[in-house]
Amino acid sequence: MEMEPASSSGSSGGSQPHSMPSRRSRAFYRFTQQNLPACKPALTPGLVIITFLLLGIIFVPVGLVCLHASRSVVEIVDRYDIECIPEQYQSNKMSYIKDSTISKDCKRDLKVQSHMKAPIYIYYELENYYQNHRRYVKSRSDKQLLHGLKHRDTSLCKPQEMSNGLSIVPCGLIAWSLFNDTYSFVRGTTAMNISRKNIAWKSDQDHKYGKHVYPFNFQNGSLIGGGKLDPNTPLSDQEDLIVWMRTAALPKFRKLYGRIEEDLNAGEVITVHLVNNYNTYSFGGKKKLVLTTSSWLGGKNDFLGLAYAATGFSFILVAILFALIHVKNPRPQGDATFSSWNRKTSAR
Amino acid sequence: MIKFIQCTQFINKDLDMYHIESNTPALARTSNLNEELGQVEYIFSDKTGTLTRNMMEFFKCSIGGEIYGTGITEIERGSLERKGLKVNEANKSTTAIHEKGFNFDDARLMRGAWRNEANPEICKEFFRCLAICHTVLPEGEESPEKIVYQAASPDEAALVTAAKNFGFFFYRRTPTTIVVRESHVEKMGKIQDVVYEILNVLEFNSTRKRQSVVCRYPNGRLVLYCKGADSVIYERLADGNEDIKRVTREHLEQFGSAGLRTLCLAYRELSSELYEKWNEKFIQAKSSLREREKKLDEVAELIEKELTLIGSTAIEDKLQVGVPSCIETLSKAGIKIWVLTGDKMETAINIAYACSLIDNEMKQFIISSETDAVREVEDKGDPVEISRFIRDLVKTELERCLEEAQHDLHTLTGPKLALVIDGKCLMYALDPNLRVKLLKLSLACTSVVCCRVSPLQKAQVTSLVKKGARKITLSIGDGANDVSMIQAAHVGVGISGLEGMQAVMASDFAIAQFRFLTDLLLVHGRWSYVRLCKVITYFFYKNLTFTLTQFWFTFQTGFSGQRFYDDWFQSLYNVIFTALPVIIVGLFDKDVSASLSKKHPELYKEGIQNTFFKWRVVAVWAFFSFYQSLVFYYFTVTASQNGHNSSGKTFGLWDVSTMAFTCVVVTVNLRLLMACNSITRWHSISISGSILAWFLFIFLYSAIMTPYDRQENVYFVIYVLMSTFYFYLTLLHVPVVALLGDFIYLGLQRWFAPYDYQIIQEVYRNNPEENTRTEHLEIGNHLTPDEARSYAITQLPRETSKHTGFAFDSPGYESFFASQQGVFAPQKPWDVARRASMRQPTHLQ
Repeated sequence: MEMEPASSSGSSGGSQPHSMPSRRSRAFYRFTQQNLPACKPALTPGLVIITFLLLGIIFVPVGLVCLHASRSVVEIVDRYDIECIPEQYQSNKMSYIKDSTISKDCKRDLKVQSHMKAPIYIYYELENYYQNHRRYVKSRSDKQLLHGLKHRDTSLCKPQEMSNGLSIVPCGLIAWSLFNDTYSFVRGTTAMNISRKNIAWKSDQDHKYGKHVYPFNFQNGSLIGGGKLDPNTPLSDQEDLIVWMRTAALPKFRKLYGRIEEDLNAGEVITVHLVNNYNTYSFGGKKKLVLTTSSWLGGKNDFLGLAYAATGFSFILVAILFALIHVKNPRPQGDATFSSWNRKTSAR
Repeated sequence: MIKFIQCTQFINKDLDMYHIESNTPALARTSNLNEELGQVEYIFSDKTGTLTRNMMEFFKCSIGGEIYGTGITEIERGSLERKGLKVNEANKSTTAIHEKGFNFDDARLMRGAWRNEANPEICKEFFRCLAICHTVLPEGEESPEKIVYQAASPDEAALVTAAKNFGFFFYRRTPTTIVVRESHVEKMGKIQDVVYEILNVLEFNSTRKRQSVVCRYPNGRLVLYCKGADSVIYERLADGNEDIKRVTREHLEQFGSAGLRTLCLAYRELSSELYEKWNEKFIQAKSSLREREKKLDEVAELIEKELTLIGSTAIEDKLQVGVPSCIETLSKAGIKIWVLTGDKMETAINIAYACSLIDNEMKQFIISSETDAVREVEDKGDPVEISRFIRDLVKTELERCLEEAQHDLHTLTGPKLALVIDGKCLMYALDPNLRVKLLKLSLACTSVVCCRVSPLQKAQVTSLVKKGARKITLSIGDGANDVSMIQAAHVGVGISGLEGMQAVMASDFAIAQFRFLTDLLLVHGRWSYVRLCKVITYFFYKNLTFTLTQFWFTFQTGFSGQRFYDDWFQSLYNVIFTALPVIIVGLFDKDVSASLSKKHPELYKEGIQNTFFKWRVVAVWAFFSFYQSLVFYYFTVTASQNGHNSSGKTFGLWDVSTMAFTCVVVTVNLRLLMACNSITRWHSISISGSILAWFLFIFLYSAIMTPYDRQENVYFVIYVLMSTFYFYLTLLHVPVVALLGDFIYLGLQRWFAPYDYQIIQEVYRNNPEENTRTEHLEIGNHLTPDEARSYAITQLPRETSKHTGFAFDSPGYESFFASQQGVFAPQKPWDVARRASMRQPTHLQ
């Protein structure tokens, strides 16, 4: 249409051929005249119904697959923080857990409900533990974790940055409160092999924790928070610490402890020897031990599958509902009698 | 916001609003009122220069009780056509001369033919009065063809031009004299230059409404020539000659009903003793330091009496192009138009008729002070009595009208109402006691005409509606006398026309023609309003959604205030990830095309009722942002529990928050896409760009470690996330679920309670009316070189006009003219009087 200059403006006296306006100026012209090419989507009933139907058809199977994956996971959860306290201390748990002279050993029997295929993941689950508390989350120094004592400014770590006048490596509340219950598993009479390696995300291990940074002056203060660290192992190999330091989002969280590399059969009973060191009693926290298998999707979590399936079904339901309404009570498309001014006048 | 500036781009560059004749595009002088243009309910319009073209043409006259002039005004033609009569253009006689300011045709007067009339002496006085009694400056060559009259108002120029065409060619002015080349005076065909000595000039001002000149003929005859509004002249006429007075008054009414502007001319012979005595007082008054103006007015009263009526002039004030249709469209759009004018009531009503503001079906309430009863009281001359009487009159009238109006409103089929009120009554009606009644009455009326109002009253009426009715008001005017009105209203529109730049300077928008108001309001105003509502509600929505997710998280951190999102996410959310699309929508969103919104002015009502920014609309947005934030937070968090993938590793806080943030960004951007009425390439680019920007950002951000001592919370988070199925499943699921609510709502809303624009969209869905605009595009693309050049010139920085004018018989007539260039440079004797009344109007600064 822009090729015929003569036809468009007859008023131009000496109809000399105008040069084609450049692309740029044409675009600008369209911009200023608000005349850009556009498509105009309109939510017509048909479109709405079809969209819903399509989405439903996609979502339901996805949901079912996810649900299936989640359901195939076998999980054993055992809360031990109460049971592992001897009778005489039940009324005074604090004195028990604070007294370092009392043995914290504890023995739990777990019954395997159904066959569990290796690898079986061992988690500890804490509840009512606010790892996402602002002061807690802040209290770490990522630079120190990577560079060790070379990084001097540890003010981020308050209140756990110094002890006895010396820097602490790793500093901060998070490291200080390291979880230190330990678990060992006995199947029948033989101790089971637990792999404690490869429980942290690789990126953390490789890039966030120094390979030549060793714990220093850790848990030497007057207040002992949690676990101690082997001063001869570099931080990048302290996977328990690395797992712990990736703070959880919710006050109830699981953290990976290790893996059992053998299958467990249904009906089997395995014995857990655990050391109940970690103090969750002062704030009413709960401690649980979780043994679980894994699917392609991860641990047991029906949520995604249920949500997908539910949305999918509701899509289909809404589509059907809309279709019914549309058939029964259609508003003619583009009937101007429905416009407000016409309605008002007809109401008069 | 940047978008406002962009909106002005559109308004200023819209070719639909480009006036080729005067080479003026529209000009938006403020950028923050665009949306109010879409909500205007009351338009206050000046008449002169706004509705009318302000091209004054000497059209008819009445001399000594005889009407001259054969033309038919457009208003007469309009009323005749309403009665069903077709009027053909009268054949132009050979004597007809049509030049700027002169459109008169009567063989009885032209080329000296007046000598054969019944009373040539009075004709002579008439022409001399026209030629002498004025403050016009001649410019250029002293020949009738080339001379240019610099006049304070176009009326004056028209009158002097008329005198020229009648053979009294005023061509030179010195400080004390006026030189007139008179033809055919003593005998046919004789031309002589006559020098009149100007002794005093009694300047025009809005209270005097008249202008006088005392001059001495070469033969020593002393005459005072006076011209002014009929009311003031008639008060000062000498007794006797009742016939002429009566006939002339009839003629005046006849002119008025034809929509013509009238002036009465009168003279008075002075004896030299009387003059000398008066002149002393005049000089005294002129040289007094305090209240000079008042004293001058008083002195003028002493001599401006016992006048002899010569006749009257009638000047046609042409309607602007397209005014009636524009007004019809606007009133269809639910906009009420009030005309506030300084003109006489008859003129005002007739203009209103001509503009189809008032028609015969309407019930008119006329509150006028020009009644016999009022005149009787005025004749007694007691000001206290007058004011008391008028106040009572206004009160009873108002009450009566209000009662009737309410009665009519209750009956559904009642006629439309129109109110006409004049300045004097308005003065009392604006009194605090009566104000409420006036407001009630005027709001019940579809159109209101206020005539004979002063600039101050224009502003008072405007602010009465603005404050009383709490509706968006728009004032449109072109002259300096409209400045106060323009400033009082929410939106002021100035017409960059003939009356100078004062109004434009005070205005928010300037257009060249009244009819462009349709484009300005129905197209630009409406679009701006719709867009702005969308932008604001969307901003509200996106921030509420974002913040609420954070809010839900707070509940689970022991109320410690830990942030859910990384600081950088939070700061860049509004800056990068969701910024551009909303601006694009603010610029480009277009529910219906320009031609459609003009074709269906009813769509504008949505703006007046503020349909798109009601509490209900905001509440719906708020509800859905509440819903969405719940979805974002709980879905991502719940799904993130326990281990992931087959590695069994778990997520931390930052993994979950990054996931949630990704969902927020994606959803919020997609939600905008759903809110768009038209999707241009830019929409898709900006929306996908924003989402991409987020991913780009997070890929980079989580890949680097900064050397600064800060928490590297997000390090590698996105890669960790992307190694899990959780990420993809959630990313697909959460936005869909989040948008599900909106989608259902929008679908249902469109289905069962559609907005008007949606219906119009549907009507034209299958036959898109692109042709009208595309045609324009073609023309626009191939502007002729001349047009292109003239358009380019208008884009140059503007100078203010050197010439300022004003309407002659409007109360706003103040001597701007004199304050303009060069007029008052030397002290001129006759200029002293003018100086006295030459106040620098304060509202100019």
